[in-house]
Amino acid sequence: MAASVSLIEVLLHCKEGFGNAKPLREERIPFDQAAHPDSPKRRYTWGRRIHAPANLLLQRNMLIIRRYGFAALSVVLALLPALLLQHYKFHDVELPLLLFATAFTAWHFGPGPAALSIVLSSLCFDYFFAPPLYSFTVTPADIPAIVVLISFAALITRFAAVRRRIEGELVQARDKLQLEVAERTQQASLLNLTHDTIFVRDMNDVITYWNRGAEELYGWPAAEAVGKSSRDLLRTVLPKTIDDISAEFLQTGRWEGEVKHVKADGSEVEVSSRWSLRRDEENKPAAVLETNNDITDRKRREEQIRGLNQELSKRSMALEASNKELEAFAYSVSHDLRAPLRHMVGFAELLQKSSSSRLDDKGQRYMRIILDSAKRMGILIDDLLAFSRIGRAETQKTPVNLDLLLKEALSEVQLETNGRDIGWKINKLPVCYGDRAMLRLVLVNLLSNAVKFTRPQSKPEIEVGCADGNTDELVVFVRDNGAGFDMKYVDKLFGVFQRLHHADAFEGTGIGLATVQRIIHRHGGKVRAEGVIDRGATFYFSVPKV
Amino acid sequence: MVEDDPRDVELSLTALEEYNLANEVVVVRDGEEALNYLTYQGQYAARPGGNPAVMLLDLKLPRIDGLEVLRRVKLDEKLRMIPVVVLTSSHEEKDLVASYTLGVNAYVVKPVDFHQFVNAIKELGVFWAVINAPPPGS
Repeated sequence: MAASVSLIEVLLHCKEGFGNAKPLREERIPFDQAAHPDSPKRRYTWGRRIHAPANLLLQRNMLIIRRYGFAALSVVLALLPALLLQHYKFHDVELPLLLFATAFTAWHFGPGPAALSIVLSSLCFDYFFAPPLYSFTVTPADIPAIVVLISFAALITRFAAVRRRIEGELVQARDKLQLEVAERTQQASLLNLTHDTIFVRDMNDVITYWNRGAEELYGWPAAEAVGKSSRDLLRTVLPKTIDDISAEFLQTGRWEGEVKHVKADGSEVEVSSRWSLRRDEENKPAAVLETNNDITDRKRREEQIRGLNQELSKRSMALEASNKELEAFAYSVSHDLRAPLRHMVGFAELLQKSSSSRLDDKGQRYMRIILDSAKRMGILIDDLLAFSRIGRAETQKTPVNLDLLLKEALSEVQLETNGRDIGWKINKLPVCYGDRAMLRLVLVNLLSNAVKFTRPQSKPEIEVGCADGNTDELVVFVRDNGAGFDMKYVDKLFGVFQRLHHADAFEGTGIGLATVQRIIHRHGGKVRAEGVIDRGATFYFSVPKV
Repeated sequence: MVEDDPRDVELSLTALEEYNLANEVVVVRDGEEALNYLTYQGQYAARPGGNPAVMLLDLKLPRIDGLEVLRRVKLDEKLRMIPVVVLTSSHEEKDLVASYTLGVNAYVVKPVDFHQFVNAIKELGVFWAVINAPPPGS
């Protein structure tokens, strides 16, 4: 009996070695393997052994054969002791033994082999133990025994089948749960991977989850944060009242806003906070997922920018004020200076008229000088005023047709030519972008200069054209073959009231070129001049293209 | 003529002399005097009656300035008819707008150049005193 039991145990273990219906046993591993998981010796676990994938079908057939084979074997093994016992005149043991074999088969191998076992057991019983012995005839006296055998076996088989089914379902459920848990832990670990601050609190504001990002931002480790009220822990300051926010939040399930918190070390942070509402199965609010982004830096910088902007606007207001002051000053200077000037000129002339007879030549000459000086002062004041106006006036930038503008400037300047025959060479000029009135002044000044300084020439030639610019601006030049200038003094050329020629040689206040430079600079361009004494001069200026 | 600068007054009178108009010019030195003259008050209480044929008004005057004088004149029933010529060194847009809004008859900017100034005065004098028919009662 013991031998057969141990035999059966061996059978069990061998079967499990090949088994395919015992997944629950998978975790059972021999103790030494558990202790040394990295043990180099590859021990077979009691669980599944991975076969080579080839010949799967053959394998399956083999398995089936094995199962039924074992069924038969178990019957045989039950039979042997039964026969033995029979020999030793121990009766009534054979039926239980056969039942045992069938039960064993049903439990371990399933309904199919169990059926085979039942059949074989019945046959054996009939043959070996039911009179007449050693024959397959069935007497009425044996029928109850056989019926009991079969029904009992069937019952065991059914139990076994149920057990299998439950086992299968449990295993399935467990696998599913395992997968879910694995997924959840993965998600949780993902939430923990991010540096974004995420925490979850329930409807009583108690924190239930606190990720690594939250630890980093607030300085509270999860162990300390979980279980506490988030409002108390972080000393939350909300932008609106909690009632307003709750109303919106519970309705839409979302809320976004800027919130102030206090870190573990006591410092304040401002965060951009997003709340998401999770509802349970009854659609009642269950938990709030809060995601926060630290915007303290951004807010600080915004403050800085605001401060800088304020300063800027203050400065620009101050600048405007000072500009206005300058304007008033320039205006009053010009007007207040003009009145006495007018009187000087007026009374000097009256004096001239009334006492020219009484004045000698010297006296008359002095008279003339006084008058001329007064007049010159008037011109200077006018020029200065015009020059300052250039700086103060608003530029009105539009596309300007330089060809047309040149024609206008020419007609104005023609008056100064006094009928001289000037060889004009006018090339085609493109359209540029700038203030029409100011650019007109530039052309008038340059042309009138050219006319003036070509006076000593017998064959004056003045050329106006376009030189190579770049992609953004074009260069215009005015060239004459007049008095020219020494390149040594080119830097002084555009200075205010700077003149390179004597007043008796060429009249002028020396403000024409300064005005040109000022205007061109206001357009963002450049001026340049080249000259050779007594050969001529060329003046270049650049203006933006359209 | 309402003008505070004595030299401008002298130049103007000298210019008008050419047309023998200088004697007919009453010169007042500021806005208050001008109003006193027109309303027969203060030192002008006993002046001979009649409105001037034209009033040459400078805008930059001490005490009551030119625009205020203009406003009061144009508001007064009896003085409204007096032709007013603003003669000023200012050619600011706002002064032009204000003057014309108040109903000035002419706005002349004092030329900076002496000759032009004298010519302007002469032409003004000739026009208003000779060519233009003054309002009745002047």
